[in-house]
Amino acid sequence: MRKKKSGPEEITASYPSPESPDESVKTGGVNLSRRKLISRVGLGATLLAIGGQAYAFVRSLVPNVLYEDPKRFKVGTLDQFSEGAKFIEDKRVFIFREKNTLHCVSATCTHLGCTVKMQRLNQPKRVNAGGREFDEQVEFACPCHGSKYYGDGTNYSGPAPRPLDHFKLEVAPEDGQLVVDTSEIVRQDFRLTV
Amino acid sequence: MATKPTVWARLKNQRATWEKIKWTWVPETNREAGDSVVRNFLLHWFPAKVTRQSLSWNYSFWLGTISAVLFLILIVTGIPLMFLYVPSVERAYLSVKDIEFTVSFGWFLRGLHRVSAHLMVAVVFLHLVRVFLAGAYKNGTAAKQNRPLNWIIGITLLLLTLLLSFTGYLLPWDQLAYWAITVGTNIASAAPVVGEQLRFFLLGGSTIDQNTLIRFYVLHCFFLPLGVLLLFSYHMWRVRKDGGLACVDQLSLEQKKENAQPIKSKTYSLLGIASGRTVHVETSIVDEDKHTVASSPNLTRRLLLVSLGTLAVSVVLTVLFRAPLEAAANPTVTPNPAKAPWYFLWLQELVTLTTFTIGGITINGALIGGIFVPGILVVAAIVWPYLDKSPVSTVGVWMARARRRQNIVFLIIVAAILVLTIVGTYLRGPYWDFYWPWQSWPTMPRKF
Amino acid sequence: MFKKDSILLYSFGGVVFIITAIVFWNYYTPEWKGYQNEFQDLVATKFGAEKIQQVPQGLQQIWVEDLNRVDRCTTCHQGMEWKGLDNVAHPFKSHPQEILKKHPLSQYGCTVCHGGQGFATDMESAHGFVEHWEEPLMGKQVSDLYLIKDRRAMMQINCNSCHRYDRETKGADYINQAKQLVAEKNCRACHTINDRGGTIGPDLTYVGDKSPEQYDYSRMLGVKTAFAWHVSHLQNPKALVPETVMPNFGFNSRDAQALGLLVMSWRRTTIPARYLSGVKFSEQQTAEEAEKEKRMLEGEGAFFVKKGCFVCHSVSTLGVESASKIGPDLSEAVTDVQSRFGKQLEDFLNNPTGTMAVVLSTQIILSPEEKREAVEKLKIAYQKKVEQQTQSAAAQNTRPQATPSPSPPKR
Repeated sequence: MRKKKSGPEEITASYPSPESPDESVKTGGVNLSRRKLISRVGLGATLLAIGGQAYAFVRSLVPNVLYEDPKRFKVGTLDQFSEGAKFIEDKRVFIFREKNTLHCVSATCTHLGCTVKMQRLNQPKRVNAGGREFDEQVEFACPCHGSKYYGDGTNYSGPAPRPLDHFKLEVAPEDGQLVVDTSEIVRQDFRLTV
Repeated sequence: MATKPTVWARLKNQRATWEKIKWTWVPETNREAGDSVVRNFLLHWFPAKVTRQSLSWNYSFWLGTISAVLFLILIVTGIPLMFLYVPSVERAYLSVKDIEFTVSFGWFLRGLHRVSAHLMVAVVFLHLVRVFLAGAYKNGTAAKQNRPLNWIIGITLLLLTLLLSFTGYLLPWDQLAYWAITVGTNIASAAPVVGEQLRFFLLGGSTIDQNTLIRFYVLHCFFLPLGVLLLFSYHMWRVRKDGGLACVDQLSLEQKKENAQPIKSKTYSLLGIASGRTVHVETSIVDEDKHTVASSPNLTRRLLLVSLGTLAVSVVLTVLFRAPLEAAANPTVTPNPAKAPWYFLWLQELVTLTTFTIGGITINGALIGGIFVPGILVVAAIVWPYLDKSPVSTVGVWMARARRRQNIVFLIIVAAILVLTIVGTYLRGPYWDFYWPWQSWPTMPRKF
Repeated sequence: MFKKDSILLYSFGGVVFIITAIVFWNYYTPEWKGYQNEFQDLVATKFGAEKIQQVPQGLQQIWVEDLNRVDRCTTCHQGMEWKGLDNVAHPFKSHPQEILKKHPLSQYGCTVCHGGQGFATDMESAHGFVEHWEEPLMGKQVSDLYLIKDRRAMMQINCNSCHRYDRETKGADYINQAKQLVAEKNCRACHTINDRGGTIGPDLTYVGDKSPEQYDYSRMLGVKTAFAWHVSHLQNPKALVPETVMPNFGFNSRDAQALGLLVMSWRRTTIPARYLSGVKFSEQQTAEEAEKEKRMLEGEGAFFVKKGCFVCHSVSTLGVESASKIGPDLSEAVTDVQSRFGKQLEDFLNNPTGTMAVVLSTQIILSPEEKREAVEKLKIAYQKKVEQQTQSAAAQNTRPQATPSPSPPKR
């Protein structure tokens, strides 16, 4: 261990001195604690600033606007939908019409998101689903992992965890077109009456 | 009451952990100071001790450090920008507008990136000027030094910096970008023999289009920064190998004349030893206690200071001067005037002034001003350390008398470049006509 | 040597802190937030506090992919589609509804008609009166610059980008007037416009795209803009271009302005066909086909044309001719239906079988009155058929012949 010649002041001069009370008494208590305060405040402000900058850089990667398809869209005038089911391919929804009621079933499989295929049955089948009995004309089957759904969207086979979503339907007041709102999920018994 | 002691013990343990992390940065004894550079990964870059003069503000102005910090800022701001910008001719301009208007802090990111880029070009150049004027490209008396090599690496780094700026300039795909690159690549095509092919390769075709944009993008984001990082590491390693900054060599020369007490121990900065003898090993010559201080915390503190200072200046400039964006690139309409980025304006000015007609032959200014003159300057710069005959006593000395002539010549060249830059920036208006600062430029007509 | 270091350290840290604070201040208080708060207050006062939930918050944008535009105007102009905000000051005033029905926001955005810089999110940049943006908001500020009182005049330049091939566009009075002048004064005598015209003057088809720097302003007074140049030139060609042969038509300032607007609207635009006014998306009928259909609609068989029966069936005695004749001639339907289906015509219409079952349940839905009308008309058609056959038989009878006269057709 070498004798310190002119070392110690240089090393510790600009840093806050140790916290033990003896030391502060030795080197003049009041001045040093104010210095400690300034240095702490300075350090805190700097760290806050750096932290703020870091937050800014990450926040810049969370988009504020999106260039995506709108969730609410028109699918055509009412007379374009005759009795039965119609698949709107580019929007991935089925529109069903029974006399003067319409409802909309999502074609997105609830398992992992593939587009399900509709299978028209040769004869109506009586099924019991969701606490009701009804005759179904179609069923849905997913080509990816084999999930199967009844005509009302209830899942009965395969890995699908829940029924297909039903979306809200409206009629646009300006031109009478049918409007599908995929951001609004409704119950399976929702019907739009026209 | 059995929980109390363990909680206290755990608290004390936290304290100990904090101490363990903290001590290398704030050593409290000489022993700790020496140890810290071998016990801390980040600190092992540094020698255990540095001379006081190396740390002084008015020797090096810390220009090298400032450029490195600016480069770091550029990388840190560049990374989110890489995610936000789209390098396709259809979407580039739109993505930059989006960065300015819809991305949170987007204007700040882009502005800071641009300010740091401009500052880096200026600071790297100033660093070159400082190194030359202080004769720091010369070898001293220690063995196996090779400062001329480091000088060449430095010149290469300067060229890479300019290229980085050049490739980045095109990316917004606005009028300024498009036409600046048109001018720049046309100068490149004036190179003899390979000029046209070089331009074709650079542009990925004969026009500035999608190929050019993506090439410049990949160069700008990957290859050029990688080149800078690799060369920079080599540059710093060479500084260590050469025994530190050139002013240290001065010290050893001076010390030879002084009487210094022989010191018992020989091996201080283990990491500073090259094969042979460096300043630090010549302990009978340099009085370490008088002239050196521990790297940790003195060097580290100043590094932090310089980093924070650079950041402070950059962010202030960012807030004051927003990054501009001109109209979307239009290959059919040239803006008037069409100027290269400011660090190339001296070249553009030269190119304007050096088109000669001798006899019936016209020599394009692009060839003389754009290729020959900068080419000669670069070659001269690279070769000069080997041609320099000034004595070793001028190493690391500012404006040494023995080097006065070369310093003056150098300063004249630098002044000429500065003057040309100023003329090109402020005194050239539409149609490249000359306008004094008090003369107003004619307003350019608009559609409505 | 290192005494001042701490001071410098903390001052630089302080500067960085202050600037970061400024940046965050800017982040938390953008210009549009003020407007959105104001709008919410307005909605609460006018329509009640519950309606505030319907007001979207944050940056709004309308992205019209087909037109390659993105407009963020609705961030501040939140009242565009609301009813009942007609008399409120901007930016909350609602848009005139009639034109919005034909040009819905989601399909057009805002800037394609109004100009301005859609990307921007602060007022000055968005309204486009900034450097390096050549499409300013075509409203009061620009109109005032040219002393045009109607603040909707300048906007008509943008109307004409899509409505260029209309003879007349409702609501674009300046443009309509200008188009009339072009026909009256016969600009095409010297200028080529849209592939037709002379070659004495320059081709004007895309003159709106010409760079403003290409014009010679040396003899012009007033603002040096391309639009101003055109207006001056139209009012006095020789004053601007001494060597011109273009006559002075003596246009008053309104005419010159109208023509100036028209000329500036002649630009290359990449617009999908469905946006262009007046473009039909079906094959055009030939003149003969159109004439024939007109006659059939005015004749006795108009009912069968209107209801669409004639697509497959002719009704020859009523003058209705089908192009395809997929089904039999309905002039004989009265007997035909009986022999084919074993039913009366009325019964068949009420209970069709085969193809007609599909047609009458999906494509052609007839009300009970319409079915009765159809039956009546078909009976008339049949009678006419019978008369025709009798006449032709009679005509044959008048010629001398050895064979005995044929017996009348059995019922």
